[in-house]
Amino acid sequence: MVRIEMKKDEGRRKSGLGSASLDEERLDRRDFLIRAGFTLGSSTVAACGFAPVEKAIPYLIEPEEVTPGEPLFFASSCSACPAGCGLLVKTIDGRPIKLEGNPEHPISGGALCSVGQASILHLYDSQRLRHPLRAGQPSSWTEIDREISDQLEALRGEKRRVCFLTGTVHSPTQRELINRFLSTFESSHWASYDTPSCSAIVEAYEQTHGIRLLPQYQFDKAEVIVGLNADFLGTWISPVEFARGYRTGRALEGSRLRFSYHAQYESRLTLTGAKADDRFCVTPDQFLPILTGLAARIVERSEKEISLPAPEASFDQLLDPVVEKLWGSRGRSLLVCGVQDVRCQVLANLINELLGAYRRSIDLRYPSFQRTGDEAGVAELTSLLHEQEVGALFLLGVNPAYDFPREAQLLDGLQKVPCLVSFAPYRDETSEFAHFVCPPPHFLESWGDSSPTARVLNLVQPTVQKLGETRTIIESLSRWLGETASDRELVEKHWREHIFSRQVGFRAFEDFWTKTLHDGLAPIRPERLQVRPFQFESIEFAAITPSQTSDTVSLELYPPTPATDASPSSNPWLLELPDPLTQTVWTNVLIIGIAHARSLGLETGDLVEVSPTGTGDSLEVPVLIQPGQHERVVALSYGYGSKNSSRFIGTGPQWLERGESTWKTAIGVNAAKLLKPGEFGLHSVVTPVEIKALGRRTEIPLVQKPESSFPERFRHTPEGRGILREMTLETLLSTRPIIETEHPEDLWPQDHRYPGHHWAMMIDLGACTGCSACVIACQAENNIPVVGPDESQRRRALHWIRIQRYFTDHDEGVDVAFQPMLCQHCDNAPCESVCPVLATVHSEEGLNQQVYNRCVGTRYCANNCPYKVRTFNWFEYSANDQLENLQLNPDVTVRSRGVMEKCSFCTQRIVGARIQAKREGREIEEGELQTACQQTCPSQAIIFGDRNDPESLVSKLRQSPRGYRLLEELNTKPSITYLAAVRNRESEGGEPDE
Amino acid sequence: MISSREPSEAGPPERDKHSRRTVGSAWGLVNLTLTLALMLSLLLLGSKASDFRLPGNQQGYTPTQPIAFSHRLHGGELKIPCLYCHHHTSKSRYAGIPASQLCMNCHRFVQATLGAVRAEEKTAAEENRVPNRIVSTELQKIYDTLGLDSDLRPTREMKPIEWTRVHNLPDFVYFDHSSHYIVGIECTRCHGPVETMERVSQFETLSMSWCVNCHREYNGRVVGDRTLRPSIDCSVCHF
Repeated sequence: MVRIEMKKDEGRRKSGLGSASLDEERLDRRDFLIRAGFTLGSSTVAACGFAPVEKAIPYLIEPEEVTPGEPLFFASSCSACPAGCGLLVKTIDGRPIKLEGNPEHPISGGALCSVGQASILHLYDSQRLRHPLRAGQPSSWTEIDREISDQLEALRGEKRRVCFLTGTVHSPTQRELINRFLSTFESSHWASYDTPSCSAIVEAYEQTHGIRLLPQYQFDKAEVIVGLNADFLGTWISPVEFARGYRTGRALEGSRLRFSYHAQYESRLTLTGAKADDRFCVTPDQFLPILTGLAARIVERSEKEISLPAPEASFDQLLDPVVEKLWGSRGRSLLVCGVQDVRCQVLANLINELLGAYRRSIDLRYPSFQRTGDEAGVAELTSLLHEQEVGALFLLGVNPAYDFPREAQLLDGLQKVPCLVSFAPYRDETSEFAHFVCPPPHFLESWGDSSPTARVLNLVQPTVQKLGETRTIIESLSRWLGETASDRELVEKHWREHIFSRQVGFRAFEDFWTKTLHDGLAPIRPERLQVRPFQFESIEFAAITPSQTSDTVSLELYPPTPATDASPSSNPWLLELPDPLTQTVWTNVLIIGIAHARSLGLETGDLVEVSPTGTGDSLEVPVLIQPGQHERVVALSYGYGSKNSSRFIGTGPQWLERGESTWKTAIGVNAAKLLKPGEFGLHSVVTPVEIKALGRRTEIPLVQKPESSFPERFRHTPEGRGILREMTLETLLSTRPIIETEHPEDLWPQDHRYPGHHWAMMIDLGACTGCSACVIACQAENNIPVVGPDESQRRRALHWIRIQRYFTDHDEGVDVAFQPMLCQHCDNAPCESVCPVLATVHSEEGLNQQVYNRCVGTRYCANNCPYKVRTFNWFEYSANDQLENLQLNPDVTVRSRGVMEKCSFCTQRIVGARIQAKREGREIEEGELQTACQQTCPSQAIIFGDRNDPESLVSKLRQSPRGYRLLEELNTKPSITYLAAVRNRESEGGEPDE
Repeated sequence: MISSREPSEAGPPERDKHSRRTVGSAWGLVNLTLTLALMLSLLLLGSKASDFRLPGNQQGYTPTQPIAFSHRLHGGELKIPCLYCHHHTSKSRYAGIPASQLCMNCHRFVQATLGAVRAEEKTAAEENRVPNRIVSTELQKIYDTLGLDSDLRPTREMKPIEWTRVHNLPDFVYFDHSSHYIVGIECTRCHGPVETMERVSQFETLSMSWCVNCHREYNGRVVGDRTLRPSIDCSVCHF
């Protein structure tokens, strides 16, 4: 071989290859190709050597509980929002990779919302501060401690105050330390605020029951639920807990049939309104007249002597059917009111009292601490700041420069503080001008506790070594108190001194601690609150005068739909999660009613300037036309346009970053600054506002087909194919309808046999609230990358499960329903027959398998899939961030460019369960195996199981009268059965509503 | 190159397409040399044909390891069961490489070969002195990882051993040791006669066809009290 090459080289030298003298050379083209081919071939074969050398590094001293490659779960508590759900943190080889709900937790009961699911990404966020900052520059804890201690020392014995400005803090240890810290100073002040606020509720209870509290709503015990501007299934206080309760009250399967009635009065379309049996679209200033009307009618029936302002007759149509139902099931009904107005809340309390809700569905003895904001204190702090009375201010869990309205002048005051300390985990808008930033670790790397309600006391434990030089807030405070305790010691000390006395069944503290650590939840006797009964005498209901309703346009600000507060989303998973109602990603849009838009001559995508009248503030946003929106109300979500999310604008394939991005707008606008400061907290309704068309347009990234000009009447789209089916409770109960579908004959006998298991799924559209927790759970479980705004706009997002939203007309308004759409795992899968390389094939257990290493990316399968559930990796999306990659699930392949992917029914979990069963010498048991979407669903809308087992829930539900398969007429034989949505209302014409 | 050739007067004379035959002995010599060279290289390749393998096949891979650990001695001669060291095999996808701590179960006491110790004792007796402690250089490497000196006193920082992986599967393959072990598949079925290997070598090809053939072969076979039904679905290994 070597000789040949030499020969050839000689030849080349002689000839001066390429010159005209080739003719004299005896090497002609054919010979050249022969020799070159042989050389190339032999060198290729010779190069087929060994793969790169891999190292294997074992432990030196092996921890007893760790088995490499096997998951280890830690019980902890979610701190992504104040709802305080219980967690099981899945760690593999020492790194947390997935959060699951703790099934034994009274709040979450094994479920988790999308924000909780996505919070793991913050742990591995390379932009998270990993060291303290002094005047914006990296510093060391020693230096920070010395300087802060010096400044605090100077304040001791001085008149100037040391203040705290926080969000909701319900960690007992943290509260105790803050109080202890503040008590060492002459004068101090602790203010807190929430966005959105619940302080009107708290204030109303002070008036009606003589105690400031936020009650605990028990939706599972209510048979009639009336909601007023309270999006309790989407964004209000504790959505996971409420959705679970709501679902319990709506059980059509199982031994006991219960189905609550739910009416919702609201001005913008919410997830809760979408679920309601009757939805009434009203303006924000109509809530008070509505409540007065409701109260008057209930008072009349209760024969109590309470004088109320005269109800307005114009609401008869909206109120009478609801009152009938409320009164009819008094003692088992519930009214929830989210209106930020004390008068409304007092009336709501009156109605609940007369309905007997306090005996059953509202618990005042064990209240909730999920919103403890007290905005009156913030006003006081603001005046203190302006009088330069504040010596040092500590900011915890708040970002006032982002989410506090400028009008309130808190921000100007903050700049006058000589020592401003922020406990922000990121460089946010406020920490920009803070003197010191003391970043706390992520809740997955620190010790802590939380008490979201009086019944629940959670323990937070670290699941990984700290990824930076961060320090918990309690540790920092204790350091400045001159102590040296670690966060664990502080929590343990607090529990030993204050909580152990309330325990049940333990003699020794160590046993109690171990048990709590194991369960994530303390076995304690809750402290029962003594609440006075409703004080009819002390309130002059007649003095409540309804404000005049006007014809002006209001702006309603709301939290981004999966979240419960205004904390800016700097999480790419959440930014790329489509809003279930608007189906927009990566940005916020001004939602506007159909007729309203028409009157202004606006189309979806038109840019407008929205400005509250009389203030200098204005925002430039694109509009999105949406049915179900009141024609005099526009809605805008906050939580966007923050400093931290702007870094995602360039997310996406590299070649697009260099060129001009098609996505020209930033990651939304910050709407939180339009919130209106009011007597009891920040008001999320701003009246009046002006909307000015700018005459320019932008593309809104929408994942579902934009319906720019909605038709007058809706059918489920695509028209009349029965993709999403609904029926009324009456139809279901009276005629027991079997949904008729055309069943085509098979041309040849079934060639797939399923000798063992035959996996199948059931999705209850009646239970699905559209909360999208499943989408993020799937993303975390299956290593689904983020594609960025540009690619999302091209509808190239890679989610394996999506929530489709459908509108149907009903009376004056619309019915909205959601349908989780994922690979149907058809028994006759159209994708399988067209793959030229057999990269998608059928398994013996009924799975439609996608083999990434075989896929060559023809995309025939996606074209042939009638459900459009296959997604294609147009680019190499993964591996951008080395730190973020630590979150990847080691049991799932990371797909590369040019590969098709789709839902696998969490086949890694099936394999895991099979192996576990094999190790224990048994079969897989019913219920042992859960897909990621199923596990996290707060309303248990998804059930997975073995169809071959006649006793399994899936087999039974497949026969349900509500059950249907998608596009069954195509004979694809899907493994997923949908259960038709049910509304508790009278049938229209007695026909099942398809 | 060829298209750039223009027939011109200044250029070389037009060549007959079949001029090869007429060139004569010089070309013949080149041809002969080439043919000989080709035959020679084919012979060379042929003699190594048994070594020929497809890309990714690392059968026979026998890398040197940081510590000259002998499976022949431990597994073959001393008959220590595989699972004494690779104890994760029964409960994890990974068989696991033992932690240094596990080596110390024995090597806290066994610090050199019997021969070396006897020799030292003999020399000491001859020289009429107390025999010195003998520590084998390979074992000292284990003590080093734990930061111990030859008297097993902690003196340094601990530093893990970087073994070179012998059996590598691609990242898109999921293989679980426990599920194979549990049903009674012998370790040697895939790893070969490790008890005879001084240095571990990859015995099988570990290719997909090798896996699938075995899964087919074992279908319906009774091992112990189980009838095996190994699946050949893609999603058994690829997801």
